[in-house]
Amino acid sequence: MASSMHLSRLRKWILASPPIEYAITHLKELLVGALRQGPIPQHVAFVMDGNRRFARTHGIETVEGHNLGFEALARILEVCYKSGVKVVTIYAFSIENFKRSKFEVDALMDMAKVKLSQMAQHGDLLDRYGAKVRVLGRLDLLKPDVLAAVNKAVDLTSRNGDRVLNICFPYTSRDEITTAIRDTVEDYSEPLRPAPSPNGPARTPFSESHIVHNIRAQTLGSSKIQDTHSDSESTSAESSAQDDDSFLQNDPASRVYESGSSFSSSTTLHLGQQDGHPHKGVAQTNTSDGDSPVYISPETISRQTLSDHMLTKGTPPLDMLVRTSGVERLSDFMLWQCHENTEIVFLDVLWPEFDLWHFLPVLLGWQRRISKSRQNPDAEGNFAGDSPDTSEEDVEKVVLRQSKVKSV
Amino acid sequence: MVSRADREILRAEIRSRGGKLNAADRENLLKPYLPDPAELASSSSSSSPPRRSRASTSSSQRRQKPRKKPVRTFLKSQLHHLTYAITHIVFGIVVRLLQAYHAIVDRVFAIVYHHHRTPELIRKDVRGLKRLPQHLSVILTLQKEDDALSVLMDEVAELAAWSTCAGIAQLSVYEKSGVLKSCIPALHEIISTKLASYFGTPSQQPSLQLFAPHHPVHGNAPDPKSESPSLTLLLLSSTDGRETIVDLTKTLAEMSQHGKLAPEDITPELVDAEISEITTLPLQAGSDGRASNTLKPEPDLLLVFGPFLKLDGYPPWQIRLTEMYCTGDRSHGMTGYGEAVEYQGFMRGLWHYAGAQMRFGR
Repeated sequence: MASSMHLSRLRKWILASPPIEYAITHLKELLVGALRQGPIPQHVAFVMDGNRRFARTHGIETVEGHNLGFEALARILEVCYKSGVKVVTIYAFSIENFKRSKFEVDALMDMAKVKLSQMAQHGDLLDRYGAKVRVLGRLDLLKPDVLAAVNKAVDLTSRNGDRVLNICFPYTSRDEITTAIRDTVEDYSEPLRPAPSPNGPARTPFSESHIVHNIRAQTLGSSKIQDTHSDSESTSAESSAQDDDSFLQNDPASRVYESGSSFSSSTTLHLGQQDGHPHKGVAQTNTSDGDSPVYISPETISRQTLSDHMLTKGTPPLDMLVRTSGVERLSDFMLWQCHENTEIVFLDVLWPEFDLWHFLPVLLGWQRRISKSRQNPDAEGNFAGDSPDTSEEDVEKVVLRQSKVKSV
Repeated sequence: MVSRADREILRAEIRSRGGKLNAADRENLLKPYLPDPAELASSSSSSSPPRRSRASTSSSQRRQKPRKKPVRTFLKSQLHHLTYAITHIVFGIVVRLLQAYHAIVDRVFAIVYHHHRTPELIRKDVRGLKRLPQHLSVILTLQKEDDALSVLMDEVAELAAWSTCAGIAQLSVYEKSGVLKSCIPALHEIISTKLASYFGTPSQQPSLQLFAPHHPVHGNAPDPKSESPSLTLLLLSSTDGRETIVDLTKTLAEMSQHGKLAPEDITPELVDAEISEITTLPLQAGSDGRASNTLKPEPDLLLVFGPFLKLDGYPPWQIRLTEMYCTGDRSHGMTGYGEAVEYQGFMRGLWHYAGAQMRFGR
């Protein structure tokens, strides 16, 4: 026992000696520079798991473990940004974590506040090198002083370059999805035009109501010549449009869905409107002078709409998700983002120990796979599209440009 | 890459909660580790604004340096290319060796652990496990060959049989294209045949319920009095993933537009209830004692039969706390390995879930 402790101390001493340290630094730089030569994931997410367990196994305080975790984060961010990753998303604090001991929560909050406010002190430094910092999550759950630090840091870095650091602060993915749904619903519940004052700046020089009146007059005139059937129809349409104003106010449901049927009979009116907005997804609801709001049709909601309402909007799709400490769950992190083409990696290493050496094989494996799928696009997204042997050979050729590998 | 001495200063500083050093001290400490701004500007894409390189006057002479040395930059990039090639050669060799090793281990496992279509053997394999998933979920891939569908259906049937034998009563199978949903009756037939070949006489055969979201249940509900095991099998496809959430949003938006719902009413609980609704067993008319057999909406264990862990469109909402296991996961996502649906892979997943190591020899 004692000898192993001495050995580890000796190892630490050797590693910390200037020449070795110098060599390791340069080796790391070389490797990172080499990584940049190949394809690199654009968006990587980390679940920083294992700080507490590290603290427990090493006999230090939990808070100290979190501090070491922050160092590991700085290390890995350096590797990521230097090798060309554009966006890094980290899971810093879950909404569920508020259930932990008050002491730990306070310490974590304190740490976040200190780090963020320190960041704010280095204004021009961050300008020169910095990434954009964004904080994703339920900011309303934070204490005011932490929130102030968050806002300051976000504001300060908002003009920075193309690298982004997303900090998921009080975050759960289900909450994010729910919020996205809610926001989408809110967006779609906003009338397209404010109903009572239709004469906004966006109006065309022609008055819509005037056109409608003209059309209606024409329909009435022509229908009088035609048989009585269409006459009654168009008048009924007209009357429903005029009489039902109060009814429509109360129950927009029937408005949207009955309007289609009621106007499909009075063809002239309907066509005239469709010419104005051909398939813009605007539910044409009423022809009478704008007393009722017009909504965007919910049918235009797509996956993209929801993605644009997620907290990660505007970032490239998640290429890789790394979770440390051997826990093989997502724990409510990036559910929406990672369920399509993301490679999920679970590593059996505690986060404070996490370094380039653990991350390198993951990145190399990713590079190999991407090179293969780029070279053989048919096989992309397909686990077993072709016979593994031949494709493996191809990868070797392309990635390595060496023939001697075949001897392996 | 921070030297030890500097790290100690930083740690002491952290302990004192940022009291020791002021902003300028920290900047001095950081300076040696920051990349050259000029290098940064050239290496990052051309989109980076020139404002950044001009922002500082203090480091202007450092910025000029690399521009005067094109040879050095060239050599550096060549060195990086070379290192890239070498690391990938070495990595390729290591991966191949690992693959070979795992392939051998897997063959040995496949021989040692074989089900022989005997429920007793399978039960024996899982007997020592501390916990079993209540609801197991599996991601399968449709191959490209002509008989891909029949292969896939056979895989589903095998998985159904293994799960039933292992005592897992709820199984969901995800296949991206959803082709399985279009042939539920045929699949039911195939699984029944497979179960018969495992369990023998019809009296001992487990009852099977097969269904997919928005599809009627196929098969008869288990008799609560009978002793034989039962299996509820759910078929999922990519339309049950993001698309379902989109559909829910559409409905909610419609309701909101009609004034039937305030956006503030949308809570995680509501979404959860609605999403879970889809994957739970649709209640048949006149059902009373079947509540116990409803499917647990969140799977406990997700087995991915593929070379690396990719969800491939699996419904996102349900997998919040699901443990994931990939049968080909041990060689850093290399292709050409771990794709086949094999009993030993299935067992490995179950053992892993229970936190146990598989050993040679039962």
